[in-house]
Amino acid sequence: MEAAGTTDDRSLHQRVVGGDEDALGELHERFYPLVLGLALRITRDRLVAEDIVQEVFVTFWERPLAFDPDRGSLRSWLATIAHRRAVDHVRAEERRRVAALGPRLTEPEPSPLEDWVLAADEAARVRTAVSRLPGGLREAIELAYYRGRTYRQTAEELGLPEGTVKSRIRLGLRKLADALADEEV
Amino acid sequence: MAPAPASGPDTPFVPEPGRLARLALDAYAETAAEPPAGARDRLLAAARVRRGPAVRAGFAVSYAARVAAMDALLAGATPADWATVIVEGWTLQELVAHLAATDSLVAAAMGVRVTGPPIAADEVLSRTADVIAYQRDRDPALTRADWRAQAEAICARAVTMDAAVPVAPGGIGFPVGDHVLARMLETWIHTADAATVIGVPLPPPLPAHIHPTADFCARLVPLTMALSGMTPGAKALRLELTGSGGGTWHVPLDLSAPAAPHAGQPADVSITCDTVAFCFLLGGRGTPATFPADVDGDSGLAADVLTAAPALSGP
Repeated sequence: MEAAGTTDDRSLHQRVVGGDEDALGELHERFYPLVLGLALRITRDRLVAEDIVQEVFVTFWERPLAFDPDRGSLRSWLATIAHRRAVDHVRAEERRRVAALGPRLTEPEPSPLEDWVLAADEAARVRTAVSRLPGGLREAIELAYYRGRTYRQTAEELGLPEGTVKSRIRLGLRKLADALADEEV
Repeated sequence: MAPAPASGPDTPFVPEPGRLARLALDAYAETAAEPPAGARDRLLAAARVRRGPAVRAGFAVSYAARVAAMDALLAGATPADWATVIVEGWTLQELVAHLAATDSLVAAAMGVRVTGPPIAADEVLSRTADVIAYQRDRDPALTRADWRAQAEAICARAVTMDAAVPVAPGGIGFPVGDHVLARMLETWIHTADAATVIGVPLPPPLPAHIHPTADFCARLVPLTMALSGMTPGAKALRLELTGSGGGTWHVPLDLSAPAAPHAGQPADVSITCDTVAFCFLLGGRGTPATFPADVDGDSGLAADVLTAAPALSGP
């Protein structure tokens, strides 16, 4: 749970602005699961999602000055681009399939310079998925994310060692990712 | 921290949207996904087509990175941006033509083929006028491509040269490595000029790229004083540049020896200021009279140093 504009974000951004390909490779390695998970959740198509992943990183590489580390984290930024590209794809597909009915207008265009915000239906899906987590994982996730507690505070409130809380949160996030990738939720 | 919404046993707690989004992103980041084989190479190949990476550049590495940064700014420039006046009455397109013009004098001195019209006069202002006239009615994308190609050729040539070889583009004799550092500083400053006018945030160069430029600026101080008609005699400056890429230098002001890292030598005056601000002052950005610096010792001498600092800066 790092703050926006960490040193790491800034340094990677500086290197990408300066044309350092290795920085792009590091960025790809670090954020691939995030961008793919997001694109997959929206498009439901692995090949399309992989294309979107590439396009997201190429877009960041081509115009890195569109990102401002003072205004948000790199991962929010990449998530915003991924979300927009995935939604665009879904809309284009729908237009192709049901040309007569026109596009589905359910999701607003995210603003690139704002922190990433979930669409209403996506938010509901996340909350449902959290509510279905096993009790111990759900408690830890709810305290850490819903209530904004630190790892230490979460550990104190649950009367557990901090290490245990960290593992529970990590496991909870993995289960959430699986649940969100599932059509049923 | 925002106050938590009221909740009781019967009302489910509703987290604020930002926290829910953070949770979703953290969950997606835990997606068990490995990039397919070859994904990284395909990504780099696709990225190269859209914006060339900084070329391997030997002693020109910090210049190559500034070229890449300016190119990133140009990649996002709209037609309106290209026509916007940035500095010296030049539009962005004319500014890029000016960079290409000054680069071309260094390119010619390094034995690199120049882009644009043949060089008629080895002098910045008339060369700039020629290149601007040549580029003015062309598509800005072509101006960008010409400038970038020539800059990359300079970097490629730098790999095969000794940085200490003296060259004299525009009649100014320095080691070629210093001429390239001067190109780095000017490219950086003009990119910052354009970023300010267009309204995009420009991150600073990496500390490892700022440091050699700061060293170059420290070494220029005696020359800027001589050019300004100031002859302090056998006096010395201790210059402490703070922040990213900085350091401390001992600068003899009588041209007796080049500035070197400070190693306890006595000095007549000590100036402490921000590294980037000092480099930009040498580059003609900032006002010597109000330049933020801490001075210890001969304050008149410090004022002379700062007043003379922009003496080498041109358009």
